[in-house]
Amino acid sequence: MDESRRSFLKGIGVAAAAAGLGCTFPLLRALASSGTPAAGVQTRQLCMVIDIEKCLNEDLIKDCTEACRIEHNLPGGESDPERQIRWMWTQKFEHTFPDQAHSLTPKELRGEQVPVMCNHCTNPACVKVCPTKATWKRESDGVVMMDMHRCIGCRYCVVGCPYGARSFNWHEPRPHIKNIRPEYPTRMRGVVEKCTFCAERLREGREPACVEAANRITEGAMTFGELSDPNSKVSALLKTTRTISRQNALGTGPNVYYIV
Amino acid sequence: MSDTRQDRITNHLTRPIIKTGRAYYGTLVLLVIAVIWGLIAYIVQLTRGLTVTGMNNNVAWGMYITNFVFFIGISHAGTLISAILRVSGAEWRRPITRVAEAITVFALVLGGIQILLDMGRPERALNVIFYGRLGSPLLWDVICISIYLLSSLFYLLLPLIPDMGILRDNPDIKGWRKEIYRLLSFGWDGNPEQKRRLEIAIGIMAIAIIPIAISVHSVVSWIFGMTIRPMWHTTILAPYFVVGAIFSGIAALILAMAIIRKVYKLEDYLKPIHFRFLGVLLITMTALWFYFTISEYLTAGYGGLSEEMHVLSAKLTGEFSGLFWFMVMSMTIAFIALVFFRSKHAIGATVIASIFIVIGMWIERYSIIVPTLTNYAVPSHEVRIYYPSWVEWSITIASFCGFVLLYFIFVKLFPIISIWEVEEAEEALGEKIEVIKDYMPGKTSATTES
Repeated sequence: MDESRRSFLKGIGVAAAAAGLGCTFPLLRALASSGTPAAGVQTRQLCMVIDIEKCLNEDLIKDCTEACRIEHNLPGGESDPERQIRWMWTQKFEHTFPDQAHSLTPKELRGEQVPVMCNHCTNPACVKVCPTKATWKRESDGVVMMDMHRCIGCRYCVVGCPYGARSFNWHEPRPHIKNIRPEYPTRMRGVVEKCTFCAERLREGREPACVEAANRITEGAMTFGELSDPNSKVSALLKTTRTISRQNALGTGPNVYYIV
Repeated sequence: MSDTRQDRITNHLTRPIIKTGRAYYGTLVLLVIAVIWGLIAYIVQLTRGLTVTGMNNNVAWGMYITNFVFFIGISHAGTLISAILRVSGAEWRRPITRVAEAITVFALVLGGIQILLDMGRPERALNVIFYGRLGSPLLWDVICISIYLLSSLFYLLLPLIPDMGILRDNPDIKGWRKEIYRLLSFGWDGNPEQKRRLEIAIGIMAIAIIPIAISVHSVVSWIFGMTIRPMWHTTILAPYFVVGAIFSGIAALILAMAIIRKVYKLEDYLKPIHFRFLGVLLITMTALWFYFTISEYLTAGYGGLSEEMHVLSAKLTGEFSGLFWFMVMSMTIAFIALVFFRSKHAIGATVIASIFIVIGMWIERYSIIVPTLTNYAVPSHEVRIYYPSWVEWSITIASFCGFVLLYFIFVKLFPIISIWEVEEAEEALGEKIEVIKDYMPGKTSATTES
């Protein structure tokens, strides 16, 4: 009796220690791997350079948000702006760059609408907090992806993203899609979605829909390409023009740049 | 000691189980109606989606997450308080440990449910286990809260064993209830070896549960603390949440004790002295709460980081100032009641303080979660304040009623005051005198070594 009890307690002790260690190692690994890659390390990362001045054009903005909406079967008709499903949208300059605007910011920028989207951060705050790996950073090109079939709808990523780049499907989206494009999947309610730099177009070697639509109106309004490639158009632009990105101090490493 | 004394205690403490009054059934029906109403509201939410709540893409967490943090906080009433009192050998704990331990288990159940209520796709909840990412603070919570729930259930059941033996042998109890008691008494007959083993097991659990409880509220705070949102990303959050949890936990315990005392006429067991002692603990926690709050808000305000200042001014002077100052006022009233009226009106003062503390702490959780999310720094549109919808209110009220309902059922099935522990107080009397003699100067006793 006493002997069996002792071995039982021992067993529990060993099991608890094993469980403890088992939890610790992946935890440490996960924590270690979520950091920013060391300087100089070549990781593939797609990025976008947006020319703010060239985008100060209502038609251009309308065209690219519409292109995105049609491309990804985004529902419309939502009266509450805070509940819209948005992959790409615009917001005032001083709200987009709160650390750049001041009381004397030039009139042509103050109050103007700047196109914004997911920054496909190098160190994405949303990916870190997801409990089910429903969102992850794709190694091959650095795009922050989203698996709507695995998402449990906890909205931790919505809360964790400092850029407001994620939308939750508060209600059934399908009835609110004007013309469903059969090539692209629709979503169910209760999951989070976001911009994927048009992963479906990248697969075919095409540029994101918004870039295509914007450049059709003003050439060079948006430039898309590989950051680590020294010969890409984006790296040439980033080397030669003055660019800023959103809330740099947060350490997320945003990969959408803005020419000011 | 004398059998008549023991019999009297047993009689008193088993009376709520054997006799059921009309008022009990009346309250039971009301609670069940409230819970059913909440279920209806949840069905509405399930069929129409979270669109029926007041949340949006900015304030993506609202009342449910507030309730979650609050319930997990309340859960610290129990197990932690009872464990600390047991470990420190506080004799006066005897009649209150089970009242506390039961709160823990039921608060944890209701707290866990809140997360499910908040999920967009609750049917996928198990993805957290199948595809769990240990890098996510949410998973730390799943792990810690599960361990806490299991260990506090165990910690509730262990000291129940001797009482189950007493009820099993009670001739007035028959049928399925007798079966439950027989099962849960695990063949208890009160022989010294059984007693020795039980004491050891309870002792181990009491110590083990303290770090577990602290881990639980730390990881709850880290859900917020690990993000880079203003006023969340602060190192004070874990200890602040732990202090707040113990704080609201003691208050909930006092309220439960006061109600049980009144309803079951257990004035002879839950005495003013118990409330007075808990009141001292509560004063300590109120002071600590003020210290942490001032420390946090002063640091944020003095530093003046623009992002944090947006949230801070919304709390101090803006849209959330009503709630914020109501919270501060509640804690102040509680502090005054405790410090100045506790010695004369032990029960009245601690109960009033506890009511203010429980409400104040719910508001505290709310005003940590919602203002940060209201997103003053990067508003894509006009700043809009989150108001919970009727569905959220209904489910919240039903959750609280559900908590009371579980407690109600527990009190009917199990002695809410530990019979054997109260009976043993008499035996402990001699031991305590020995202990006191032990530390008096000029005395040596058998227990002193070297």
